[in-house]
Amino acid sequence: MLLGKAHILIIDDEEVIRDSCTQALKKEGYIVKCAENGDSGLRLFKEFHPDIVLIDLKMPGKSGMEVLEEIESTDPNVVKVVITGFASVSSAVNAMKKGAYDFIPKPFTPDEIRLIVARGLERRRLLLETEALRTEQERIRRNMISLVSHELRAPLAATVQYMEVILSGYAGKISSEANDMIDRCNARLKEMLELLSRWLSLATFDPSKMAENFQDVRLSEVAEKSIGLLRSLAEEKKISLSLEAPEDLPPIKGSRMPLEEIFNNLISNAIKYNKEGGWAKVKLFERDQEVWIEISDNGSGIPEEHLPRIFDEFYRVDGRRNAPIKGSGLGLSITKKMVDAHGGMIEVESRVGEGTTFRIGFPKVLSPGRKLSSE
Amino acid sequence: MSQNKKILIVDDDPDFAAAIQKILTSNNYDVDVAGNVEEGMRAIEEKRPDLILLDVIMEKYDDGFNMCYDLKHDDRYRAIPVIIITAVTEVTGLKFDPKTDGEYLEAEEYVQKPISAEVLLNKVARLI
Repeated sequence: MLLGKAHILIIDDEEVIRDSCTQALKKEGYIVKCAENGDSGLRLFKEFHPDIVLIDLKMPGKSGMEVLEEIESTDPNVVKVVITGFASVSSAVNAMKKGAYDFIPKPFTPDEIRLIVARGLERRRLLLETEALRTEQERIRRNMISLVSHELRAPLAATVQYMEVILSGYAGKISSEANDMIDRCNARLKEMLELLSRWLSLATFDPSKMAENFQDVRLSEVAEKSIGLLRSLAEEKKISLSLEAPEDLPPIKGSRMPLEEIFNNLISNAIKYNKEGGWAKVKLFERDQEVWIEISDNGSGIPEEHLPRIFDEFYRVDGRRNAPIKGSGLGLSITKKMVDAHGGMIEVESRVGEGTTFRIGFPKVLSPGRKLSSE
Repeated sequence: MSQNKKILIVDDDPDFAAAIQKILTSNNYDVDVAGNVEEGMRAIEEKRPDLILLDVIMEKYDDGFNMCYDLKHDDRYRAIPVIIITAVTEVTGLKFDPKTDGEYLEAEEYVQKPISAEVLLNKVARLI
């Protein structure tokens, strides 16, 4: 590896090339190993851990292009240089597209190969530095997360738990005034806990990790669960909640928890920003290649000038500190992230005083037996 | 001789443990508190609790999950119900070792801190 002398692997079926490269490069103090075909080259690659691999494109057996691709998929940070026959520019271009950093046409002089390798090593140094930085960034991010999740949440949880003991009367009688105040403390701290966990779910969200665990999900089941969860909130405000979903709605590829989060956020908004006696409707339907969720209400609506920003983190339409309806300003940005992670799209339509409609479209899963059209 | 059921709290936050202990002792449970996994295992061996309330992040971030895994793979202790109780919500996305991840968790219950006295008492009563 680069900390000591650079390791260079040459994979070429021509002995003359192998020998001349070795000679030229050993003079520079590099450690050089050679393989005469693709298979033994790949084997050597795993043991030798080269910084640069020089690959002849035209070899009997496994082609140079295949070797190149395999190395690229094993470790993209290893610099790959292809050796090509005279004037076969197109194959060189092809190789670059598949991850080669540079190419050298045959025949070449010792100086030329030394120059290309020196450039390649500079590239290697940059790649390794970038990798180290990325690891460091990930470490900082993780520390931040564990700080928030543990160091901030734990004291809040312990405090709220003590209050729970007092409010339940297990610590003896207190005056009703004291009781009310502790009740308020409790409510405020619970808001803070809620904000922390929402922020955390945003900060730790990794769409590619989530996509690994995608499975077929029936949106009607998710919608039903979410509506069940929010039913009491709706009843409190006398909002009627309804769900309309066709029986044969195809599933989508997704992850249950984040999809629930989408429904929870949008339905609870439809309830919270509504007037007593209003309604919130959830409708699922199929259109073209997509499954759509439509969540609408006849609530207060969102003024037009706010619409472009409602998906921003911490953005609130009513930004006043004493806004009558509490919120973190994270719900819609979380929703948008979750929709994006599912390859979906979200749109909003709203009119002040009339209500708001959110529409989300996801690509549907086509079951093998199901024909696209012509039925 | 006490007829009370025995509960062990394993949690490194003494305040949180004390609050939970107060709720449980007020409802006629005998409660012991252990501040880490080692103490917890010792208390389980000596006192044979009827139920364990187990925190997750203690000295290591997955201590509780690992301890739960060990208990549920030990014939002597498998039958003791475990309630995992943690401030780490399911949505934090913290990655635990797959063998001890929530999905594989064999605990009887999984609840979040803080917890209302009523919910806690219901869950406990249902398990012992």
